Amino acid sequence: MATFKKLLVANRGTIAIRIIRACRELGIETIAVYSTADKDALHVRMADEAVCIGPPAAEDSYLSIPSIMSAALSYGADAVHPGYGFLSENGDFAEACRRSEVNFVGPRARHIRLMGDKPRARRIMQRAGVPTLPGSVGTGITELRDALADGQRLGFPVLIKAAAGGGGKGMRIARDADELAKLFPLARGESEAAFGSRTMYLEKYLERARHVEFQIVADNHRNAIHLGERDCSIQRRHQKVLEESPSPAMTARLREKMGKAAVRAAEVVGYSNVGTVEFLLAPDGAFYFIEMNTRIQVEHGVTEMVTGIDLVKESIRLAAGEPLGLKQRQVKFAGAAIECRVYAEDPQTHLPSPGVVSSHHPPGGLGVRIETALYDGYRVPVHYDPLIAKVIVQAEDRALAIKRAEAALREYLIDGIKTNIPLHLQILADPDFRAGHYATDFLKRYEGRDAAGELRLAKAS
Amino acid sequence: METREIKALLALMQEYELLELEIDDKKRGKVRLVRAGRPREAVAAPPPGQSTTAALSRHVRAPAREGGKAAAPELAENQRLIVSPMVGTFYRASSPDADPFVEEGDSVRKGQTLCIIEAMKMMNEIEAEVAGRVVKVLCENAQPVEYGQPLVIVEIG
Repeated sequence: MATFKKLLVANRGTIAIRIIRACRELGIETIAVYSTADKDALHVRMADEAVCIGPPAAEDSYLSIPSIMSAALSYGADAVHPGYGFLSENGDFAEACRRSEVNFVGPRARHIRLMGDKPRARRIMQRAGVPTLPGSVGTGITELRDALADGQRLGFPVLIKAAAGGGGKGMRIARDADELAKLFPLARGESEAAFGSRTMYLEKYLERARHVEFQIVADNHRNAIHLGERDCSIQRRHQKVLEESPSPAMTARLREKMGKAAVRAAEVVGYSNVGTVEFLLAPDGAFYFIEMNTRIQVEHGVTEMVTGIDLVKESIRLAAGEPLGLKQRQVKFAGAAIECRVYAEDPQTHLPSPGVVSSHHPPGGLGVRIETALYDGYRVPVHYDPLIAKVIVQAEDRALAIKRAEAALREYLIDGIKTNIPLHLQILADPDFRAGHYATDFLKRYEGRDAAGELRLAKAS
Repeated sequence: METREIKALLALMQEYELLELEIDDKKRGKVRLVRAGRPREAVAAPPPGQSTTAALSRHVRAPAREGGKAAAPELAENQRLIVSPMVGTFYRASSPDADPFVEEGDSVRKGQTLCIIEAMKMMNEIEAEVAGRVVKVLCENAQPVEYGQPLVIVEIG
């Protein structure tokens, strides 16, 4: 088996742990990298070797290509796994790995760059016959007058998006021309700050749509299959909170249609490794390509639970040049899976809640899986993402999966910091959620309470 | 005393950052609480240096707290530790057949090159921040080093 000897994990937190575990099963040695803020982190303790790469600020550690490449070369890694976030969708990093003859676990640099340029990805999908939403044409827009012209042409409401976008940054809904005039410069400013790019584009905003994405796996020999969908409509400010598979809106016929479109999206560019094609699914069953993520996703565990396929191991195998192990018709889906993202945040105000986890007691039992880097006495640092754990459950049907998720969340003890577990319990108990009737605006129904909480906090400070 | 009660006391100690707590309950009498002046970390790592002394002491103490897992060696009052400012490969000489920049026991000027850290094919010269004498070179030639790892001990003088 052509595989790697020593893999550097260019990430931290839950995904770093996930990658280290996958490497153990594959018999690959691991190198953890960490900033000084993470010297006591679990991934540092679990890896075979650990290398401090810089100070707490991510720009000088987890986002520093020279530091990570230097660690890989000095400590003799033959592969690098970027995980998600940080450098995972940075074409320059993939390129730097290739030049240093270190294998990058992911697609080729040009695919990362192509899909990272959202207007360009839209154009390619349109040409390949993958449906896209009506939107700005060409390479994107930077000026308000072009935005207003596009808004008139498309009809309101429209969604303002950043060409280099990701993570909901630079994204705004405009319901009329006045709102567009007000929000466009704001979104453009956000994009400039986050991505260093003023290029934006507009898309027709679809009311009551669901966010449904398809997991793709593709090898270096032009074979690609999909592993079904994940419904990620439960979002707050374009950030996913809870995901499930299958989508309550899915039928076998629709899955086949959307799955084919997703595979075509990967094939048309010659994509390899794991990836995710995101669609908006309208109430009438029409679906539209939004973007492709060229990395492992946070919510990959949901797909693993229903298909039994280890996506992280698969990503490493595929990067080593191995062919896909199975054909589309061999992919089977078992029951239902739900993932609840546990954030270190105040459930009322959504403000981050870093600090020392005085006691950590994760739940267990049949069909319950916890992905976390927490332990008793661990200090959640202020410098990074507030995602501290994923509670993933699987059961033979959706109703039981919901019960199992509720039981697991109630059992989960995380003392010392606040988490959004109460919000998850509220979602799981919601009659509309239980009926599977929800869209991307679902969490807005709780926002009256949010606003009151923020007001209280503002008065208190 | 029951575990539950001990846990409650531990929580109390954590909440008020108590260093000690003594209870002597013969019918609810006697209590002794000791609280640190400031949280312990604040003492360990002074804020980024304003004065030269502060900067120096930060330089000495930094690796143990901030750097990698390599333990900081014991230092005498007049000794200073030079740590790696980046992850890379440590070299004692400018090329494989050149003499080392310094040997243990050598006198060094302030700003004199002590060693090289290679990162991404870039040779970064590490200089003495104080004038004095090289007491110990802590790394082997061509050894990988991490950010904050102790490299050389210099005695001021």
